[in-house]
Amino acid sequence: MLHNTKCECGHQNPVGTVLCESCGKPLDDEFGTAPLEMRYDGIARRSQRENPVLIDRVWRFFSSVKVAIILIFIVLCVSIVGTIYPQENTFLNVDPAVYYETTYGLAGQIYHALGLSDTYNSWWYKLLLIMIGASLIICSLDRVLPLYRALNKQQIRKHLSFLVRQRVVYQGQLPASGLSASAFINELVPILKKRRYRVHTDGTALLAEKHRFSRWGPYINHIGLIIFLLAVLMRGLPGWYMDQYSGFLEGVPVKIENTPYYLENEQFTVEYYTEEELPSEFRGQGRAVPKLFETKAILYECTANCSTNQPELKQVHRQNIEVNKPLKYKDLLAYQFDYRETIQIRSVNVSITDENNQNFGPFELSTISPKETYVVDPYVLTLKDYYPEFALNDKGMPYTKSRAPLAPAFIFLVQGPNLAEEGEVFIYFPRDVDKQRFSQDKLNAGVSDMIDIGAASMNDVDISQFTSFLNIRMDRALPYIFTGGVIFMIGVIMGIYWQHRRIWIRIDDDREITIGAHTSKNWFGIRKELSDVLGKAGITVEPKQLENGVKQS
Amino acid sequence: MRKYRRWVQVFILIAIFVVGGLTLADNLFREDTVPKEGSKAPNFTLPGLNEQEYELSDYKGKIVVLNFWGTYCPPCVEEMPLIQNYYEKYADKNVEILAINENDPLVSVKAFVRQYKLTFPVLLDKDIVRREYGVLNYPTTIFINENGKIEVIFEGAMDEAFLSSTLAAMASS
Repeated sequence: MLHNTKCECGHQNPVGTVLCESCGKPLDDEFGTAPLEMRYDGIARRSQRENPVLIDRVWRFFSSVKVAIILIFIVLCVSIVGTIYPQENTFLNVDPAVYYETTYGLAGQIYHALGLSDTYNSWWYKLLLIMIGASLIICSLDRVLPLYRALNKQQIRKHLSFLVRQRVVYQGQLPASGLSASAFINELVPILKKRRYRVHTDGTALLAEKHRFSRWGPYINHIGLIIFLLAVLMRGLPGWYMDQYSGFLEGVPVKIENTPYYLENEQFTVEYYTEEELPSEFRGQGRAVPKLFETKAILYECTANCSTNQPELKQVHRQNIEVNKPLKYKDLLAYQFDYRETIQIRSVNVSITDENNQNFGPFELSTISPKETYVVDPYVLTLKDYYPEFALNDKGMPYTKSRAPLAPAFIFLVQGPNLAEEGEVFIYFPRDVDKQRFSQDKLNAGVSDMIDIGAASMNDVDISQFTSFLNIRMDRALPYIFTGGVIFMIGVIMGIYWQHRRIWIRIDDDREITIGAHTSKNWFGIRKELSDVLGKAGITVEPKQLENGVKQS
Repeated sequence: MRKYRRWVQVFILIAIFVVGGLTLADNLFREDTVPKEGSKAPNFTLPGLNEQEYELSDYKGKIVVLNFWGTYCPPCVEEMPLIQNYYEKYADKNVEILAINENDPLVSVKAFVRQYKLTFPVLLDKDIVRREYGVLNYPTTIFINENGKIEVIFEGAMDEAFLSSTLAAMASS
């Protein structure tokens, strides 16, 4: 069934056009009096085909604003639900499947099973965001292209019914000044130009337009949103996002997971405010208020043997990390987060003393990765066993309670002068308290008459005092997110701060003036402006009188 | 512009489809990276106690039992004699046991091996292979069949009933 869309002015309009593209005459509602539907200037949004293919159906689905609003509403509801229980990424070392069930019971179990415990990273949430993105693109394209075409080729002289059915209308006679129609029109031109309108005349008709660019504002802000969404999705790419917490014991380089970097906490310092520095309300309460947490950090990059036990490290950066002053190296950021006092012996400079009080050594004994053989002329020590946290089980057998050197015990086989040829066993506890606890001298009975192994003074004991906890972060998508956000704001400002105003004037029969005006927003403003313009041209009319149709400002 | 409308539509829909597909695939793939029962056992190379190298793929065609342990973990220590016992039992039955030690000093591991008279290979790892296999607790024992697929993942100290039945089932199939 062919729909006749040829206007009386002679222009052939595409199917679906509401107002003739050329003269603006309403095609369907010829004899009505209601104000015209001026959305998109009445042009057809897109051609309707008789047999929509799958592509057409999908396109039509996403180009509907109703669908877009529903999608946004769904994402809103889902996002709200995601805040009911803490999300998985707020925990450090917890198995999610177990945690939600034990802490929140059945509700927690369902929450985790539905994937809501990691709502914002789940595949269906991302899919919803992609659908909103699709909607943004398709809605915008579907409207902006025809709109651009329509606004680009506007006719100056519009059909009378187009003017008369605008929401701002004036109909009257030429003022009695003796001017002809075209002369009057020409008089209006400078008045309008002063108000920054672009004016086009056609004898006895005039079109004044200003701030058309504000119409593109919403489309620019959609572009910004699309960039923003794509950047958020890009965070999912490997190596683009990281947010983890790690502990760094003083003196030990620790690998930063998923990167080739190792970070060493050389020294951690905590400083407290002195009594004088505290505000008066806090003094005398014995409060310890931290003033400074500082980690002297060294960043290494692994250059070889990276997936083995002995990677080769090259120093690439050094920085003192304070709270809110993170270490920055390329995209990597390390923030000071927490600390704990974890006093551990890192290594001891040990000497051997014989029965004549002669000292041999010192040699370095590490509590983290001790070597197996030590040659200290004339003695040879072989490390037979090592327990980082020595303890005796209920059978009286030695074992280690943990990996941390909290009570180190070294079992040496010592060979040397005055000792048996195959060597004698000597147990060495670097910590005095362990020496007492486990009666080192009794254990070494016999051998301890001939030799003693120990550190000469406290200076020979290298102690780590603190473990510093750092928040390691990386977010390579951030610059793109900001770009998207800035473009979005530009579009919003364009669309909200300025309005697209158009005034059509035609003089018929040399005396009848008909004026119609349209704006994208702020009708009050355009009525006032039109009233001022007409006033300067000799026609007195109140802004209120220009209002036509449904009362909306 | 109207002529290219169809092409623009197709291009945009394809682009959206591709982005959507990639995002989905990436998400689902990410969840799959921890090896589970039934998935392929990731290959690795680790040094042993005397600096020799052990690579998992060298044992293709054999049943491989990986035991993640440490000397500081009492249940790991408890099950060691049991594992040694079954290592000897299945010595000629195409079964290999690799004990992967996590983060112990070399000296302690050697002393332990001597003390408990262990004859199966002990490998030294520093969280690298452990992370690859998603092992969180010790001891964890992973049974891999001749085709390199993980059949059983067991957390905790094994008792004799479990070890013998699992090995028997795998050796006979």
